[in-house]
Amino acid sequence: METTEAECCTGPGYASPQEAIKAPKEKVVYTICIYTGTGIERPDYLATIDVDPDSPTYSQVIARTEMPTVGDELHHMGWNACSSCHDDSEMSRKYLIIPGVRTTNFYIVDTATDPRNPTLYKTIDGEEIKKKTNLSAPHTVHCLGSDIIVSMLGDANGNAPGGFLHLNKDFEIMGRWEKDITGMKFNYDFWYQPRHNMMVSTEWGAPNTFMPGFDLEDVGKGKYGQQIHFWDFKNKSIERTVDLGEEGLIPLEVRFHHNPDSTHGFVGATLSSNVFHWYKDDAGELQIEKVIDVDAIDVETFPVPMPGLITDILVSMDDKYLYFSNWLHGDLRQYDISDPSNPKLTGQVWIGGLLGKAPVVNGQAIAGAPQMIQLSLDGKRLYVTTSLFSTWDNQFYPDMKQAGGVMLIVDCDNENGGMTINKDFLVDFGKEPNGPARAHETRYPGGDCSSDIWV
Amino acid sequence: MKNREYLSFDVGEDEAIIDAVEAKGHLLPIGCRYGGCITCAAKLLEGKVRQPNGTALNKRQSSAGYILLCVARPKTDCVLEVGVESHDKLYVNPFSVSGGYVPPLKGNKK
Repeated sequence: METTEAECCTGPGYASPQEAIKAPKEKVVYTICIYTGTGIERPDYLATIDVDPDSPTYSQVIARTEMPTVGDELHHMGWNACSSCHDDSEMSRKYLIIPGVRTTNFYIVDTATDPRNPTLYKTIDGEEIKKKTNLSAPHTVHCLGSDIIVSMLGDANGNAPGGFLHLNKDFEIMGRWEKDITGMKFNYDFWYQPRHNMMVSTEWGAPNTFMPGFDLEDVGKGKYGQQIHFWDFKNKSIERTVDLGEEGLIPLEVRFHHNPDSTHGFVGATLSSNVFHWYKDDAGELQIEKVIDVDAIDVETFPVPMPGLITDILVSMDDKYLYFSNWLHGDLRQYDISDPSNPKLTGQVWIGGLLGKAPVVNGQAIAGAPQMIQLSLDGKRLYVTTSLFSTWDNQFYPDMKQAGGVMLIVDCDNENGGMTINKDFLVDFGKEPNGPARAHETRYPGGDCSSDIWV
Repeated sequence: MKNREYLSFDVGEDEAIIDAVEAKGHLLPIGCRYGGCITCAAKLLEGKVRQPNGTALNKRQSSAGYILLCVARPKTDCVLEVGVESHDKLYVNPFSVSGGYVPPLKGNKK
């Protein structure tokens, strides 16, 4: 896959989203595996999974890259370089940057020397990051040209609002990226669209609030977010803050269209379980509207209506489909967003979940529900894992710590719409050699639908 | 530690319990090491502790007897139940319990 990238261009990635769609099919994928909160006192690790149907080890973990520390809770990860430096022949997509959200340790993993067996290249000590930047709890990693920016959810003591860590291409700590965070109560995910000098960031809560688990009292006390922030990207300062109100509680994952000329994007309000769409109108004014509303469900014996809990959203590389997971209800949805103001539901599958609609999938009992999703560049294969966050897993799906997580592939019809669970693929992380592991975010060696940005 | 065959440790008055446990080469769940992340929660069965930065536990968790080993310092001899197997009362599904804050969520009958 690395050679394919090199053949098509000078630097990493692809000239455009259209070129990315034409990339060869992924042969391996990388997934975060977590022992934090399972009772197994082993470090978390990066699993390499064979996804080539013609390979004898298809649907198996073929390598495990163990980190040196116990208790990091590896969570999200990003590349050292993506299509944003496609024209820079000095750069290559070689390293995954994998932070631990509980310890703030960063692991730089070399995936290029042997894509089927990544190795740890460098560690950045979390204590050093806290000391130099007063930031902790890393979340989203994006590269911009040769620089790397990471959203950090707290200060060194786990209080809000955190900020953004800036690393250079040699993974040295440059300090804080942002100039001004006035108005930001909390931090979480971010995405940028450089041709429009736009960046959007979202709000979860302070690490001291969300780390121990989810408590509705904290929502009542205003300890979770409901704002999103539109940044002047070049000036590194917030230009406009939008309060999404009571229909926009806990806005988490945020996605721009891949088309670098577009100003459209989407954010999932996780607790309210609504999707909001924003764009700049012909006059250049920012417009934001709720476009999808997943009703909460009154579960017998539960006094509080249970939301779907939209924990991950994703836009296909051709900007035609939006996918998201309802982690409590247990369904994955596909919407046609050709008209982004009027998404149309075109596909839905059920995997596990608390409504009991699909307790067994492909012969496997599911302790959990669809959570992190990653889509192939051609838009046909959606890779799905089941863990959200160890303490929240333990609240909603306590059996996951004994059963482990799973990875499934959902085949997506990206012409007429529709989703079906692939019957031939299942990775059961309950059978890992050191015991059952949770499974979280997935990335592809050649870039994927939530990594690459075009400048 | 009751569920570790009553393994016992001498812990200084100003020493975090986890530090004394790890110094003897034993492993227990651990994460942030500043009282913020709950990974190291253990159930205090007997005794008293001081928790200067025990910010991660809510009232319900504290009244169920949980302490955080990364910040808790003993005031008396203590008996603990440790590890994930002590976490049975640590976590609840917040939508399944009544009497607390109810967020503005539209409900539909199943």
